[in-house]
Amino acid sequence: MANALPLEGIRMANFGWVWAGPVLGQALAFLGAEVYKVESYTRVDMTRTLPPFGGDGVRDPNRSLSNHACWAGNGSVSLNLRKPEAVELALELVATCDVAAENFGPGVMENFGLGYAKLCEVKPDIVMFSMPAAGLYGPLRDIRTYGLGLTGTTGLDSLVGYLDGPPIPMEQAFSDPFNGILGGFAVLAALNYRDRTGKGQHIDYSQQEAVMQMIGPAFMDYTMNGRSAGPLGNRHPLAAAAPHGVFPCAGDDRWISIAVADEGEWQGLVAAMDDPEWTRAAEFTGPEERVRNIQELHERLAEWTAGFDDRELTEHLQSRGVAAAPVLNVADLLDDPHYRARGTFIEVRHPLGFEETIYGAYVKTSRTEAKVRPGPSIGQDNEHVFKELLGMSDERYAQLVEEKVIF
Amino acid sequence: MPDGALEGIEVVELGQMVSAPYCAKLFSDFGADVVKVEAPESGDLARRWGPFPGDEPHPEKSGLFHFLNTNKRGITLDVSTGAGHEVLLQLLARADVLIENNPPAQMRNLGLDYATLEQVNPNLVMVSITPYGQTGPCSDWKGYDLNAFHFSGASHRYCGRPGEAPLEHGTFAADFYGAAAAATWGLAVTLGRERVGGGQQVDVSCAEAIAATFVGAQNIGAYAQGGVFETRTGVGMPFCAPATILPCKDGHVWALAIEPGQWKGLVEVMGNPEWAQVEMFEDMFVRGQNPDIIYPLVQEWTLQHGKFEIMERCQAVGCPVTAVLTVEEAIEHPHLRERGYIVELEHPELGRVASLGPPFKLPESPGGPREPAPLLGQHNDHIYGDRLGMSADERARLRADGII
Repeated sequence: MANALPLEGIRMANFGWVWAGPVLGQALAFLGAEVYKVESYTRVDMTRTLPPFGGDGVRDPNRSLSNHACWAGNGSVSLNLRKPEAVELALELVATCDVAAENFGPGVMENFGLGYAKLCEVKPDIVMFSMPAAGLYGPLRDIRTYGLGLTGTTGLDSLVGYLDGPPIPMEQAFSDPFNGILGGFAVLAALNYRDRTGKGQHIDYSQQEAVMQMIGPAFMDYTMNGRSAGPLGNRHPLAAAAPHGVFPCAGDDRWISIAVADEGEWQGLVAAMDDPEWTRAAEFTGPEERVRNIQELHERLAEWTAGFDDRELTEHLQSRGVAAAPVLNVADLLDDPHYRARGTFIEVRHPLGFEETIYGAYVKTSRTEAKVRPGPSIGQDNEHVFKELLGMSDERYAQLVEEKVIF
Repeated sequence: MPDGALEGIEVVELGQMVSAPYCAKLFSDFGADVVKVEAPESGDLARRWGPFPGDEPHPEKSGLFHFLNTNKRGITLDVSTGAGHEVLLQLLARADVLIENNPPAQMRNLGLDYATLEQVNPNLVMVSITPYGQTGPCSDWKGYDLNAFHFSGASHRYCGRPGEAPLEHGTFAADFYGAAAAATWGLAVTLGRERVGGGQQVDVSCAEAIAATFVGAQNIGAYAQGGVFETRTGVGMPFCAPATILPCKDGHVWALAIEPGQWKGLVEVMGNPEWAQVEMFEDMFVRGQNPDIIYPLVQEWTLQHGKFEIMERCQAVGCPVTAVLTVEEAIEHPHLRERGYIVELEHPELGRVASLGPPFKLPESPGGPREPAPLLGQHNDHIYGDRLGMSADERARLRADGII
């Protein structure tokens, strides 16, 4: 393993809040960047108040377990941006940074006195990353959304649900971590451009447009054939595979996913089922017939899977070359041998003195090991940033803490 | 046209279907030089998947292929032959990045595993995107997007009605998610090669990326500490209300009014109905505990109004209600037109055809589709001749042998 990390030397002031913004900081921090969340006790981030809390379970904005997982890797400085001295300090920090990021609505940073023009005054080649719901301009610019409802505006939600039924909500904001992670690509692309040309820029990352990339296949069907698809169930988005679904297994709420995309896999499935007579019926003879009669096919298959243990059946089907996998629940994730082997979830000791389980490097790199720091306490890096990085005297620091500028 | 942000980065794609092609498209749409390698004759499987205009299959008319492969140059090469393998190594010897989504065992059998490629080009970054990753007991499982998504915990926890089958997210959700993670980590590793002393393999499991950053993020700490976990409810946010998708006159809306000001706004827009004046309903948790009362009453109102009207009126009073747009409504929305998100390209077989613009805007170095997806082998002469310096005779021989 190399000692250096790919993004060492890159520094970022992260004004991002809730989930997507901090996940962006996390992605770059895992890869070696130095990232400071800018936040304050004057308006504690909502995600810091979400239970359960680590250690003895005391309700404390520095102990929310889900917040720690989502924010791990970010450092934290606390500045009460309603005070002009705090805004000045934020600008001083930005002046030492390569990147400043935020995911407020358009105009919020300007109101703080931290708009792009202002940042350029202190750091002309700054890469500013803005990630509002629907971009920095356009008729929906000021739309208010949670991540949950945001996907409603992308068309994606209209595709989720049981076949021919109403849309079923995804019960958590899939868009938030997706955008946080992909936002990292935008920032790195802009940094590469800066390194080549000396020019920074203001990235306009519309969460709506980024999520809409995922409906590309459905968009093409609309633009070429005028069709607007409805909820798909678990069927193949292009009706190119059958069976393609989730089937019940033995036990409480246990399921298996099975996808068959070609004739070889179908023969494997038939063999795995011990060649039942129904598979030879005319309606299942070829891929087209199976896609056409998928409803009946799925009913037959569900009758067969229902008695089996999901993992045993997975092994059995895999041995016949069939793409099958258990449908995991949250408890399974932590105990699963595959995720254990890959170190997906790790136990870390939080500086506040308790063990907690968060996720580690969700992508593996062969030469470098991701730097995973636990979720930050509010202002944990204040002394380092203000005294060491910005050269503030002890007296001045104490005074600003006293005045709740650094707070 | 200014330079693309990733100009000068040479990428070779050995991918099919969604994950690796989408990852490589992010590179090509922002200016990287991407050469897509396809098998002679058959090409990328996506060419067979459609959607096709008029539902008539044609290898050069697949909408999926068109969407995922803009700005790339396409060559054909049978990498399972000795000669083909050698040609690929010539391309990789000078490339910065390889992006691929083949089963790990297949790459080993082809002599294209990272240990081999590292010998050829120590500066190469190999981005491998698979359902389960390069290591771990499931790494050699056969899998598709569907399997990976359901292996992430996302569906069991968050998507579907209790007692009914957990649901996929309506698209190739795991493939797209894995591709995004691969693009970010792959680019970081590429830009950091000098710092760390060379290339490396970037191992992305689509299932793991979602299991960690989406499901694990919100659930794993609580489960590890408390030993209890939750499962899907079929309701957007079950602990408060309204916070779910409700039917309206012409479709559906995300009825979200949680904080006091938002709820007050919704009540006002609904015309201050008497039932909403009950004091206990001012608490979002109390509303959440009474879904059987709240939802039918809110729905009675939403059913009388259209989705755009509901969204507009709620947004005007600070309530984050949004319309659940169909694909058509989303695409045709004036907001996206004004932002130039729908782009048009000229394709030799499809004619003038639309695509989606880039996922984000870099004003100094704009990205997005400019060139349509390549025809099968369209750039063979250019890449083999100009880039690798093969003579016309050599190319003809490889063609005759079915290698290119």
